[in-house]
Amino acid sequence: MDKEKIGELKIQLQQLLNEAQEFVQRIPPLQLYAAIGVVVFTIFLLLVIRLFKRRSANTILLTGLSGSGKTVLFYQLRDGSFHQGTVTSMEPNEGTFILNSETSKKGKINPVHIVDVPGHSRLRPKLDEFLSQAAGIVFVVDAVEFLPNVRAASEYLYDILTKASVVKKKIPLLLLCNKVDKVTAHTKDFIRRQLEKEIDKLRASRTALSSADVTNEYTLGLPGEAFVFSQCHNKVTVAEASGLTSDISQLEQFIREYVKA
Amino acid sequence: MLEQLLIFTRGGLILWTCKELGNALRGSPIDTLIRSCLLEERSGAASYNYDAPGASYTLKWTFHNELGLVFVAVYQRILHLLYVDDLLSMIKQEFSAIYDPKRTSYNDFDDIFQQLKKEAEARAEEMKKSKQLGKHVNNNLGRKQGQVQNGSVDGGSKKKSGGESGNDGGDGDKSRGRPLENGNLRNNHVGKGEVPAMVNANGKENEASKTGAFDLNKLQKFRSKAAKKTETVVNKVPKEEPNKKITKKNRVWDDSPKESKLDFTDPVSENGEQNISVVAADEGESMMDKEEIISSDSESEEEETRKDSNVDSKKKGWFSSMFQSIAGKANLQKSDLEPALKALKDGLMTKNVAEEIAEKLCESVAASLEGKRLASFTRITSTVQAAMEEALVRILTPRRSIDILRDVHAAKEQGKPYVVVFVGVNGVGKSTNLAKVAYWLLQHNVNVMMAACDTFRSGAVEQLRTHARRLQIPIFEKGYEKDPAIVAKEAIQEASRNGSDVVLVDTAGRMQDNEPLMRTLSKLIYVNSPDLVLFVGEALVGNDAVDQLSKFNQKLGDLSPSPDPRLIDGILLTKFDTIDDKVGAALSMVYISGAPVMFVGCGQSYTDLKKLNVKSIVKALLKLEVSRLMICRS
Repeated sequence: MDKEKIGELKIQLQQLLNEAQEFVQRIPPLQLYAAIGVVVFTIFLLLVIRLFKRRSANTILLTGLSGSGKTVLFYQLRDGSFHQGTVTSMEPNEGTFILNSETSKKGKINPVHIVDVPGHSRLRPKLDEFLSQAAGIVFVVDAVEFLPNVRAASEYLYDILTKASVVKKKIPLLLLCNKVDKVTAHTKDFIRRQLEKEIDKLRASRTALSSADVTNEYTLGLPGEAFVFSQCHNKVTVAEASGLTSDISQLEQFIREYVKA
Repeated sequence: MLEQLLIFTRGGLILWTCKELGNALRGSPIDTLIRSCLLEERSGAASYNYDAPGASYTLKWTFHNELGLVFVAVYQRILHLLYVDDLLSMIKQEFSAIYDPKRTSYNDFDDIFQQLKKEAEARAEEMKKSKQLGKHVNNNLGRKQGQVQNGSVDGGSKKKSGGESGNDGGDGDKSRGRPLENGNLRNNHVGKGEVPAMVNANGKENEASKTGAFDLNKLQKFRSKAAKKTETVVNKVPKEEPNKKITKKNRVWDDSPKESKLDFTDPVSENGEQNISVVAADEGESMMDKEEIISSDSESEEEETRKDSNVDSKKKGWFSSMFQSIAGKANLQKSDLEPALKALKDGLMTKNVAEEIAEKLCESVAASLEGKRLASFTRITSTVQAAMEEALVRILTPRRSIDILRDVHAAKEQGKPYVVVFVGVNGVGKSTNLAKVAYWLLQHNVNVMMAACDTFRSGAVEQLRTHARRLQIPIFEKGYEKDPAIVAKEAIQEASRNGSDVVLVDTAGRMQDNEPLMRTLSKLIYVNSPDLVLFVGEALVGNDAVDQLSKFNQKLGDLSPSPDPRLIDGILLTKFDTIDDKVGAALSMVYISGAPVMFVGCGQSYTDLKKLNVKSIVKALLKLEVSRLMICRS
């Protein structure tokens, strides 16, 4: 029974093929070649466009501990104000836009793709999704509540600095001390030195371990010497900002340095 | 009266708050809600209670999954507002009509909100009035049948009207508990027997009969518990006496010749002096330091073949669902998610996840997917599975750092020893895994000291002494029948004297229901304030994991004399090599306690200690689910 059916199908297919061949032969050759040419050309164009897109990475990542002010900074960059306030983010905020301060400039400006990754420790894996397309990373630190969170901040920073993609591509990192408008905020030099000290301690305990979910594939700094940020393969700079008072000029400078206007 | 009502995006931007209810909220209830409830996959729960100094709030929420919005209402806990759920769903509907992703201020919503609020309040008033009428009818029926029954009926109806808040239910139980204490057990029995008779009279009474039956069970539990307590106390005393009097006679099972020697311990004198030098145990690198190689390729192939074989089974259902998946369905409803979620829940339960936890997880995943639009070319089952996988990874990812070596270094700098207390029920492997942890720490040049605070089980101190001898580390022990809290305290003092960095404290196993033993444990923790309270649980445990952990945490919280009690900080999962892929116990324990899994014991020698690999556990939990999902097509 089945064999008969297959046989019938085969005959039908044969007939269809013959009909198609006759149809194709009836079309004037010029039109046929033109049609094929158009199809090939569009495929070629798509491939070229894709290649071009990959070359110019224009993504800046905003990351840091929960509560450091990343979402406020994101909306400052986009709209110039943080509207009615923010709460702990559960999902990343993404946007491709021209920075708010540059909207008054004339001429064509390259938009920036900014991603605000949630800082909550349960959502850390989300950072890895965006690292592959990053042109620069901004690590936001709360300058007021710095000392109680220095260990968690340094661990997160250490994890980022030792990720394979960051080291290989030498992605530049900006250490942004946020909330400097408050009186009790620490200076950026103090924060830098404290983080260097903590990461130094981390180096000692982390190189002794290799956990099963290995993300620390590289070690930082030179053995035997105290760790300084200048020893990193990728460039690390420090700056200050205040999300609430729209004082984000240094942040914008960093963005424009790595994503050309 | 509502304290506050917020609408914000999942990305964290607040879109609208009610301006009239402008009272500043004490503390930060919204952030705490997000961190401890919504991100912990408990979004299926009905409400969340938040306590700040000076205020106690209850928070209720609802999601709009398609637009990625969250609606939260905050009100004082003492007010049982009934219209909140209603109001939230109405607001959701109205707001999603005017929502635009580009807009960030919605001032025109104020008027709509006022209107909706009045409507909701009015509706709640009506419902309250109709319920009160119903209550009057119940009371009349009750008066005909005598006093005790009246009491139970009132309790039952009280439960019904305050159905939404658990507090009223609690009051009802208390009123029933009082006659119990007076010894009027028989009266209560009679009362509950009569209640079902009235069920037929009024349809609403059905709940009352259910509550009656529930309390009967509770009653029996109370009685059996009371009996158990007296038994354990009585048993403890005579057990310890005949320890040294009776020597054990060898039992003869068959005709084989009698063995002369039973005791294989080395001939060492009582106070642990070494007559024979023991070579320090060196079994190579502990598995904690070895990388795990995960073979992912073979597993994905298996999934594919299983998929293909099951596709042929139902051609008709496959075609219609394919059509739906290509076209993309408008808005997932709960009924659509149900078969897929049920399949997932059953799958999780076959992997030894506790039933309660699987249920709560599925509710949380349903809450996050409801109302979402299916993208084209995706099936419902794959969406549900992706959401479940994300949720599982999120739960198992530790919330805080589990880098113990770093903590040890930090404590060393401060000049104090780092104290770890191992707690757990009987027979889970505390002493064995304590030795494994000591071995691992030794490999990282940390000075370890053991403290034998298991002064109850025969042979516990000798067991630790043998481990200490093999690892060549000091041990602090005071023999048997001493107060463990005091032994621990002295051990810590000894450690700071002789320069040990870490003190590992072994405690006796105890059941979570045993009140006096839990009290001694909480005293030990309170007196010594350890740096890490490690709960040791075996991977073989099933539904009891939930009970063990929640009771342990509860007792540690309740019985501690300090206002800020120490709870369980970490979990040590043992006997992991005995389960092949039924790894659900890890999930149950982490979900119910919120504590991360710090170590995994996977064998009985010193090197068998690993770290938890989140990805492989999630993969093991979700594997084999594909075949089940194929059968329950949407």
